[in-house]
Amino acid sequence: MLRLFTDTDTDITPAVAAEYGYRLISMPYSVDAKTVYPYVDFDEFEARKFYDMLRSGVLPTTSAISKERYIAYFEPEFAAGNDILYVHFSRAMTVTFNAMDEAVAELKAKYPTRQFHEIDTKGITTISYTIVREVGDLLKAGKSLEEVLDWAKTEVDKFAMYFFADDLKFFRRSGRVSGLAATMGTLIGIRPIIYMSQEGKMVSCGKEKGRLKAMERLVQQVADLGDDFKSHRFVIGHTDAPELAEEVGKMIRERFGDDFPIEYVVANPTAGSHAGPNGVGVCFHAKHR
Amino acid sequence: MDSIDARLYLNLIRGGAARLSAHRQTVNDLNVFPIPDGDTGDNMFMTIQAGCHPSTGSGTGTTLAEMAKAVSAGMLMGARGNSGVILSRIFAGLAKGLADIREAGVGTFSRAMQAGVEESYHAVSEPVEGTILTVFREGVEAAAGSKDLEEYFDLLISAMDLSLQHTPELLDVLKKAGVVDSGGAGLLYIAEGMRAALHGEAAEVLEEVAPAAQHVDLNAFTEDSVLEFGYCTEFLLRLQRSKVDLDTFDETVIQDWLSSHGDSLVFFRDGSIVKVHVHTRTPGEILNHCQQYGEFLTIKVENMTLQHHENHMDERFKAGRKAYGVVAVASGSGLADTFKELGAGVVIEGGQTMNPSVECFIEAFDTVNAETVFVLPNNGNILLTARQAAEMYDKADIRVIPTRTLGEGYYALANLDTEAGDASAVETALTEAAEEVATGLVSRAIRDSGDFHEGEYLGIQGKKILTAGPDPESALLALADTMKAGSFDVILVFAGSEARDSDGVRKALAARYPRSEVILQSGGQPVYEYILVLF
Repeated sequence: MLRLFTDTDTDITPAVAAEYGYRLISMPYSVDAKTVYPYVDFDEFEARKFYDMLRSGVLPTTSAISKERYIAYFEPEFAAGNDILYVHFSRAMTVTFNAMDEAVAELKAKYPTRQFHEIDTKGITTISYTIVREVGDLLKAGKSLEEVLDWAKTEVDKFAMYFFADDLKFFRRSGRVSGLAATMGTLIGIRPIIYMSQEGKMVSCGKEKGRLKAMERLVQQVADLGDDFKSHRFVIGHTDAPELAEEVGKMIRERFGDDFPIEYVVANPTAGSHAGPNGVGVCFHAKHR
Repeated sequence: MDSIDARLYLNLIRGGAARLSAHRQTVNDLNVFPIPDGDTGDNMFMTIQAGCHPSTGSGTGTTLAEMAKAVSAGMLMGARGNSGVILSRIFAGLAKGLADIREAGVGTFSRAMQAGVEESYHAVSEPVEGTILTVFREGVEAAAGSKDLEEYFDLLISAMDLSLQHTPELLDVLKKAGVVDSGGAGLLYIAEGMRAALHGEAAEVLEEVAPAAQHVDLNAFTEDSVLEFGYCTEFLLRLQRSKVDLDTFDETVIQDWLSSHGDSLVFFRDGSIVKVHVHTRTPGEILNHCQQYGEFLTIKVENMTLQHHENHMDERFKAGRKAYGVVAVASGSGLADTFKELGAGVVIEGGQTMNPSVECFIEAFDTVNAETVFVLPNNGNILLTARQAAEMYDKADIRVIPTRTLGEGYYALANLDTEAGDASAVETALTEAAEEVATGLVSRAIRDSGDFHEGEYLGIQGKKILTAGPDPESALLALADTMKAGSFDVILVFAGSEARDSDGVRKALAARYPRSEVILQSGGQPVYEYILVLF
């Protein structure tokens, strides 16, 4: 049978994972040399506490997991005669998948008949969350693995995510946003708009003055790029800024009506370590990213 | 007096500096705004004083041209504030006019002064009449054709005085404030001091201003170093009645001895005080010799190898050279940090009441070590200094963005994108960004002025006082209203070191302007209780 995997960088919680039968691979972050594995070292993510820690000036680091950890996740499935589909966060954003590739190669040598499939969501947090759920929905609806893999080939690139961050010092440390040139500090009052590119990277696409303009820009991105988004999941993600997220939701409603559901998701701590608090993003089905 | 030689020229400059020094405060008080302001008297004095210790000696071998050039070089480096910059350019023009001249008669001097006028007008991109420029020009025009130097200075001074009295008619801001132009007044004092020196009147001894603290690397001279450059030795010696006959004493005895025992001699007697600047390898010998005529008032001896090391860092600063760098001027630790976080390589401490010199900028350019350096002066009174420093610096491409307020500088820097194109494209983008910002300032009135009273808090935008209130907070709220803060996306407030209820004011602004994002930052700046930045 087919076993589903995803990881905690996709914002999927154990409860949501259970709905679809995903197993969660925990992607760690570290504070003061203490490494924390989400949903292994804690049961529930206390977003306010975590992001308040970031607000107080703590800058967590994140790290790749080892080949051994991947083997520990995957081998029991192969040993039990199951195949694996892993819907994961962007390969382009991390080196952790090198360790996974080694693990899979090793396991395939040991279990030559077993299959390992993957879908790269080419994103992290909200956009990955959306795709992981869409994949889960399709499988639940009875689509075959082949149909789902085919779907992913074209559809992954049709989920767009645009977001703004409050304080770029978190991005500056990780250096993971391209297009943000020389100045990437505490841009008080000015918010760079960042999107997930087709290559699965964060790319800056301009700046907006003030929160309101930044929120309006997100709504405008939906208007400009949105494609049949009402028939797909529409998700607003945030890094502990529920009021701002709802404000964006209200603006989306005003602009596009209330005949589709909007889901709110708080960004996982590992991704949040790079984005910092008070950010908001929208994820929607689009003509392109 | 038929002509001016090197020694007399230096005495004229020193006479001018001494007279200005005695009237610094008068010039400082000619302040358009009733709030603490860039002190023109201090700026001009520090500028001319930087020309009083030329790198060349005033011995018989020195020509007038060499002296004028050395004086000008000192002033160009020491220039502070707009008036200081213009002053330095007047003397730079004078030096150009005196090139190749050994001694100048009145005709030559008059033509050189005319060159000073031309150079001063070139110092500013848009010359404004009713300022130091007008006062000097009209003085020089009136004095042209004088039969001798005495008449020249008489005519120069009376015409400058007349011109100065007319400045309020040319400039409305002066008329409203009920003052004459401060730069023009400072220049008039200098001209008067020069005339006094021409007549041989003893100048008041120059007030010494401690030079800005220099970072001297003591490790530059080690156990194995060779004394290459000797010691820069400076002292004031009070001639003692017990040692010499003051009435008949001829100081050239000391001067001649010093000339044969050191280099770069600057020698100057004023009454019973002898001032000496000399480079020597044996300062002890110099001091012992001179002590036979009097006692020392002050002594300074510095190992020039250390200074030399300071000035020759080229090889070191080639390493790690960047494509782009930023130098900003700000006062207040919070603001300095903000500019650093935004990417400024060097933040020069300075602002409204403290105008950095050309030399400060040049040191900053060295430190930032980039091919292209963008400069954010962030104050109208610092702009010219920055431009002059840029003109004098040839080790990098310096581009001064004409930011007149900290708000403009902040927003420009926040929009810096070094990948936006070549240096010119980046410069244009920064300049345009600065133009999008409106900046308001709240400061306490230090005297009555028009409708405003001492002790009130004034809300100021550009050159206009818009509002007033009994406390900084009410002045800020009124200012925000007048400046239509609600029509901007962001209302950024930098609270100064004297702000009282900054959090209360943030809440009040947020309630009043719900569509704008209100951000409060601790700027820690002096003078301004609040800086309001709208963009």
